[in-house]
Amino acid sequence: MEDAEIIDLYWRRDQRAIDETHGKYGGFLTGIAWNILRSHGDAEECVNDTYLRTWNAIPPARPSAFRAWLGRIVRNLSLNRWKQSRTAKRGGDGMEVLLGELDDCVPEPHGTEKAMEDQEIASLISAFLRRQSPESRVIFLRRYWYGQSVADIAAGMNCGEGKVKSALFRTRKALRTYLEQEEVFL
Amino acid sequence: MKAERLFQILGLVDESLIEEADTASSPAAVQRRPSWVRLLAAAACLAVICAGAWGLWQSNPGAGTGSPGDAALAGGESGGDGHSPGTTFLSYAGPVFPLTTAEADTGLTAERTVTWDFAPGSYEDGSPRQWGAQVTDSYTLTNPTDGGVTINALYPVPTSWLDFPGLNAAVTVDGGDAGFSVLSGGYAGGFRDAGEPDGSTWNLAPPDEWADYQALLADGEYLSRAMEETAVPEVPVTVYRFTDFAAPHEEYNAATQAVTFTIDPEATTVLSYGFNGVSWDTDRGWCQYSYFVPDGVRRETETKVLIALGDDIGDYVLQGYADGGCDQEIDGVSCTVTRRETTLADVLDLLCRAYQAEFEQFSLGRGQESPFRYLSQAQYQGLVWQLLEQYGLFSDTPKDRYSDGRLDEILMEALSQERVLYLSFPVTVPAGGSVTVAASFWKEPSYDYGCSGSENVGLQGYDLVTALGSTLEFTGQTAALVNTDTIEIVRQNLGFDLENGVAQVSLDLAEPRYYLEIRPLEG
Repeated sequence: MEDAEIIDLYWRRDQRAIDETHGKYGGFLTGIAWNILRSHGDAEECVNDTYLRTWNAIPPARPSAFRAWLGRIVRNLSLNRWKQSRTAKRGGDGMEVLLGELDDCVPEPHGTEKAMEDQEIASLISAFLRRQSPESRVIFLRRYWYGQSVADIAAGMNCGEGKVKSALFRTRKALRTYLEQEEVFL
Repeated sequence: MKAERLFQILGLVDESLIEEADTASSPAAVQRRPSWVRLLAAAACLAVICAGAWGLWQSNPGAGTGSPGDAALAGGESGGDGHSPGTTFLSYAGPVFPLTTAEADTGLTAERTVTWDFAPGSYEDGSPRQWGAQVTDSYTLTNPTDGGVTINALYPVPTSWLDFPGLNAAVTVDGGDAGFSVLSGGYAGGFRDAGEPDGSTWNLAPPDEWADYQALLADGEYLSRAMEETAVPEVPVTVYRFTDFAAPHEEYNAATQAVTFTIDPEATTVLSYGFNGVSWDTDRGWCQYSYFVPDGVRRETETKVLIALGDDIGDYVLQGYADGGCDQEIDGVSCTVTRRETTLADVLDLLCRAYQAEFEQFSLGRGQESPFRYLSQAQYQGLVWQLLEQYGLFSDTPKDRYSDGRLDEILMEALSQERVLYLSFPVTVPAGGSVTVAASFWKEPSYDYGCSGSENVGLQGYDLVTALGSTLEFTGQTAALVNTDTIEIVRQNLGFDLENGVAQVSLDLAEPRYYLEIRPLEG
């Protein structure tokens, strides 16, 4: 079923919308949640919560990129769940590793930074990514948006893990420099 | 933890980038991305395009797509009989058109040379980028008459208003920068169904082969309309504007304001702008328009307007809801509603200016150049009215795509739709003399999507037309390639032979269209 048809089901408050969403994107959403949580139970709960959020948001939302829109919800829910599980000291360390890498991107404070809204910073990062080569930004987002492992990214891109690690390292450093130039404070 | 916040912020990067990262199967599959608003629409279509393209490919794998065994292939060959159509790419960039004039008969003759420069560009991180070509389309205009001739030269470029700034178009006359204004043709494509062959018109169908442009430009009507000024009519309307929003955002992250009323559909037509949800019961005339209450976080317009044409909408009810389902009523949602009787021209002026301001605020933040550098407000409003009149609710045969009266799509698509733009500039050719005129611009190639499974993924297609739409009398035409070290020719009907140093060829003026398909060499 096309995305527009699934969205129409939500608009008609037809519960088949959730079945269709699950059938088409369940695996995709579970993959993102798993990459972050490394717990099948938690991942499943986040995916179910994603369907509920979607049901509550459509209508009036009419997402133009339904797949990415769903992915964004499950990613946020998974991050929240990970924070809870970290407090309870359970779950895997996939997220710890990701965040450790992202520390490389955090700019050093100089005292003149702007207090910016998340969306403003995200727009700056989008602009930064558009100025990278397609290969670099795809690798970066597969790692830090989709939470994929280096090995999975290398397999998907048909290249070696060393190349992926190298690209991630360069992009992280470049992003940190960029954020410092833009005087972004996190 | 700062890394946590960064991870959360990364979740908000543009959907187009997220889609790209998801669909790219290898670096070669990643193509140039169009910009802002176009992508908001295009991203939604990407999966459909890929699926549709794959379906098309599977159902008829030979149709319209050249294969490596075709007679017209090969860099070293002259390129077959000159009548091969070449590959029909899934994304068609349109041909290089010849110069024309606003005047029907100029008395001038023209000698033309088209040059594709394949010098590779680079990304900002320094990695090489072999994508597209710099085109220079040069003309020696000769005046054989006894008197000087001044013409309004028009150089046609197939593009959209959103993409136009990125072409970096320039015009020279005898080597000096001539400057230009831009005339805008209407939407160059049509409409098609949403995947089911039911005759509906939900999707855009932009030109996908040169014959589409041939049909569009051959009789001169398209250019004539582009040269006309289009004014929005002074149709009386009643406008309801919603401002001063408030909602308990801490408690409800999708707080929604709905306005509900009943109309006689025969007597009232409603247009909207800035509303997320629209529901109707056409039998009862019941309408409900709703929007997420602006919270200063979501990037959504705060310009929210309902426009009634014909009879006024009468009494309406405002109600706040917990979310867009408009099921759970909540308190604390409010706004100010201002009713005003005015004209359609007046309200479109308001909306188009608001759209430009929001667009420029957004594009400036991303370092993008705004099309409004070239597109005046009067032109923009004229294009919006053209869409409404030809395809929207003011048309005798409105397209399904615009049947809900949402002006948001119309204002956006007036910028993103494919059309022919004409670079307009005056040229004076003295009696018995000649003047050299050149247009240069970056040309995106035609290509197949990386996810299509087509064997033509990785090819870049270019074509030119020799006479279509031109008033000039050509005495000769030449095509040339420069900086070809990083490409190989896969198919063509031009006659280049790079291995033997043939990078310049004379064109047969009787041949309406030439094509060239190249593949970047591995770095």
